[in-house]
Amino acid sequence: MEQSSYSNLATTHLLGSVPAVLNEEKKASYEVPGANMQIFPPSNGGGGYQTLGAPTEVFEQQPPNNWKGVFSISSYTQYFNVDTDVVINRLISSFYPIGGDFFSKIDANPDLYGLIWITTTLVFVLASFGNCATYLTQKHSDSSTSWSFDVSYVNVAACGVYGYAVVVPMAFYFLLRYLGSNASLIRFWCMWGYSLSIFIPTALILLIPVEILRWIIILIAGTASACFVALNLRSYIEGNDLPMMVVASFLLQMALAIFIKVWFFP
Amino acid sequence: MSNSYSDSIPLNASSQSDIDEIENLINASVQSGPATVLPARPLSPPRASIPVSTSPFIQSNIPPPPPLSSSSSNQKVPYVPDAPTPPPPVGNSSSILATGFGPTPNTLTEPVWDTVKRDLSRIVSNLKLVVFPNPFREDPGKALRDWDLWGPFFFVVFLGLMLSWSASVKKSEVFAVAFALLAAGAVILTLNVLLLGGHIIFFQSLSLLGYCLFPLDIGALICMLKDNVLVKLIVVCVTLAWSLWAAYPFISSAVNLRRKALALYPVFLMYVSVGFLIIAID
Repeated sequence: MEQSSYSNLATTHLLGSVPAVLNEEKKASYEVPGANMQIFPPSNGGGGYQTLGAPTEVFEQQPPNNWKGVFSISSYTQYFNVDTDVVINRLISSFYPIGGDFFSKIDANPDLYGLIWITTTLVFVLASFGNCATYLTQKHSDSSTSWSFDVSYVNVAACGVYGYAVVVPMAFYFLLRYLGSNASLIRFWCMWGYSLSIFIPTALILLIPVEILRWIIILIAGTASACFVALNLRSYIEGNDLPMMVVASFLLQMALAIFIKVWFFP
Repeated sequence: MSNSYSDSIPLNASSQSDIDEIENLINASVQSGPATVLPARPLSPPRASIPVSTSPFIQSNIPPPPPLSSSSSNQKVPYVPDAPTPPPPVGNSSSILATGFGPTPNTLTEPVWDTVKRDLSRIVSNLKLVVFPNPFREDPGKALRDWDLWGPFFFVVFLGLMLSWSASVKKSEVFAVAFALLAAGAVILTLNVLLLGGHIIFFQSLSLLGYCLFPLDIGALICMLKDNVLVKLIVVCVTLAWSLWAAYPFISSAVNLRRKALALYPVFLMYVSVGFLIIAID
């Protein structure tokens, strides 16, 4: 603006000159905190004057929600506000089926990063190791088979894993809401997403082409994952009035495990 | 529109020059060339006959410089075109290009080879910046400033085609999976960085992830030609490492230090899955 050009002029030696005011712009943007508008003279309900209510009301007890619309990225960043060590911590705690404290761990800051990338990793792992395992099984029984890559494994894995991880928590959320309990969809998605992480190393171990061993491995992994889901759900619902939900979640997770074994590691 | 006017009614000199002025402005806004201020032009000389411009509206009512090929002078003669014609004939372009006084170079009237060559040279220069060692790689903002999406498109389609040709069964499904994986993967990876609070420009990142596919393209080509499993494994490992090395500085500089691994892991996952596809497709 004009101030800058004027300030370059050396005018202080001139009599009666006033140096230009610098940094005018900075002062202009200074906001007076807590400005209460009051009309003078302040009268408490008398006369014809009205006093404006104090603008600094106490906000409602809602947590700050930065929802700026469906199509704005910044409204979703609140669900990805995690660091590497936090994610690794949650991942490791998902391997321990007995505990039941996952929800308290994620309560302040649930994240969808785990859901998205664990499911994607699982899809890739199932498709790739499933093909390898199928080949190894066929080679085991008939040593003349040659390698063939069945690309439909990718499609089935994607539909199965993504469908399960998105739909099942939503179903539980709506069901619990309908039954009156207070549920949070993001936390459900987060928990179910982390519960799938056990299957990733399991898929690696399932490469061993011995049938009975595969069944044992998948049953162990399925039970661990299902216990994780069920115990956490039970501690979240905080009441024994909905045992069916807990049992249903257990059974669904077991069904997923068995589906993985049957389809990808025959 | 100026076309209908010039078709029927002979205009007086000032209206024609106004129309010239407007067409000049339209030309200047349509071109993607450097933004230059159009020189203030004197009125165009009055004409004896109004040329009928029947091709798309960017037609040269502008007085052409004296040396003209005969083909362009034919445009002045009223004739009915055979089809909605593409930009005017090739011989016109070199004479219209910046004479310092006339209009800025019109990318619609230049030869097709010029356009293709310009895009190709941009792809090559971007490739050299991204994939090969050079002193500018440390500064991501400078490196891919002139991003484009043609290069990534070629590389993705090329990779899909290589994989599809290598496959013995379900070729179209293989191409579909590869293309969907790469295209959706690039978008999702960029969104991942943005959601983690990183600072990255969306299309610049798409462009970058596409260019980093180039080593895997070479790997896929070699694997298609040589069908030995061990060779494939080694080639894919080397090219995969090269791709990851190319992509690493850009992604890691875009996010907070504590979240670097969170941003890099999906890139690693995508390239490993593509590498696995290359090895596994027989």
